[in-house]
Amino acid sequence: MTTVIPFGPQHPVLPEPVSLKLEIDDDVVVGVLPSLGYVHRGLETFINTKDFNQTTYVCERICGICSALHGITYTRTVEKLFDTEIPERAQYIRVIVGELNRLHSHLLWLGLFADGFGFESLFYECWKYREEVLDVAERICGNRVIHSISKVGGVTRDLTKEHIDMLLKMCDSLETEIKNIEKVFVNNYTVKQRLVGLATLSKQVAYEVGTAGPTLRGSGNAIDVRETPDWDIYKDLGFKTAVEKDGDCYARTKVRITELLNSLTIIRNAISKMPEGEIEVRVKGFPTGEAIMRTEQPRGEVIYYVKGNGTKKLERLKVRTPTFANIPSLLLMLPGVKLADVPIVVLTIDPCVSCTER
Amino acid sequence: MLENEVEIKNSDELLKTVEGLKNDGYRNVTMICLKANEGHEFIYVFEKDYQLKNLRYFLKPGEKPKSISGIYLCALLIENEYQDLFGLTFEGLAIDYKGHLYLTPNSPKAPLA
Repeated sequence: MTTVIPFGPQHPVLPEPVSLKLEIDDDVVVGVLPSLGYVHRGLETFINTKDFNQTTYVCERICGICSALHGITYTRTVEKLFDTEIPERAQYIRVIVGELNRLHSHLLWLGLFADGFGFESLFYECWKYREEVLDVAERICGNRVIHSISKVGGVTRDLTKEHIDMLLKMCDSLETEIKNIEKVFVNNYTVKQRLVGLATLSKQVAYEVGTAGPTLRGSGNAIDVRETPDWDIYKDLGFKTAVEKDGDCYARTKVRITELLNSLTIIRNAISKMPEGEIEVRVKGFPTGEAIMRTEQPRGEVIYYVKGNGTKKLERLKVRTPTFANIPSLLLMLPGVKLADVPIVVLTIDPCVSCTER
Repeated sequence: MLENEVEIKNSDELLKTVEGLKNDGYRNVTMICLKANEGHEFIYVFEKDYQLKNLRYFLKPGEKPKSISGIYLCALLIENEYQDLFGLTFEGLAIDYKGHLYLTPNSPKAPLA
């Protein structure tokens, strides 16, 4: 006989409200039904009241963690609509701030994850390191989480020598710190006992069910939007997709730790190759036509679609966020998992409900 | 017009094409719904080897769209989203939230319609 119990929308391990109706047999999950809608803000409708430049700031507020990458993706999509090439220096600045976003998002996730399986000191450690990234982001952009660095036609702020010195110093100290926490996440006996073999998603299923980001790469699929020809700047930045084959919670964790180290490499290389010059071009007129563009957020690929009708307001904006793509995988990962492990499995997709409910 | 776009004429052709894409190893990325000529226009987005493929399908006014969630399970969330936001009713949805994925009973009805 099975019992249905609610998990969320308010739960100690969930930073944001998502509800799962879990069908339990003894203490094993046999079925799951996700329920959304607790924080839906109707931003895709709201942009009909804003012009296409103001919409950048609306998009940045879709998510407080990957805000810069939302802004960057939106502006890249509108620039594609205008068929505009932005200055190379602006592209590098976008990459650097985007990777800062990835660093603080992954460190936040690792902390929450450690807290999820009861490792409090590791949680504090990860969040302490995240503060270093936020401090640098604040000095560069003026804000800690809503960076507002990207605008249609380029970026809002240039990097000074002081910023670059600060970034390089941060990369050096973070590298040591990340390697320290990596030892715990990867080698600690208790952590491995909780994660290895838990909620395995095969390579084929992860691909077919449309997962994105570390969930997809943790199952052996080497797919990272930073490798697309659309975002060719990454090919010169020593970037190598992080992949793990096992498809379990442990693999998804390892992918994120490798990505932290990758981000440091990308930032260092971007600084060394960044040319001098302008940081924006003027974009004139009102957008017409349609465009799709995607970038790799910390949680996976985000896809923006815009349709312009020749007025200052967009006719349609559609955002597909990575959590939206990863929620269906929970339908396949959770059955067979014990009730006590449900929070860990849910956390491994790094759910961002504010992204999901634009 | 988006790059790599194919126009689909009817729902049977849509299901057949989507099934073919799945067999060819494409993954379902998303779906976009637009208002067009009193009806709706759908753009189904698929991806393989970093290349997007878009299927554009015009749904006539009053016509019921067919769900592709039987072929790609992951399509169920986006189709439910459009049931909420555009007031559509998809036939054959794997999990049907009946217009309440996002919206509560006292929410505005079909706010994007």
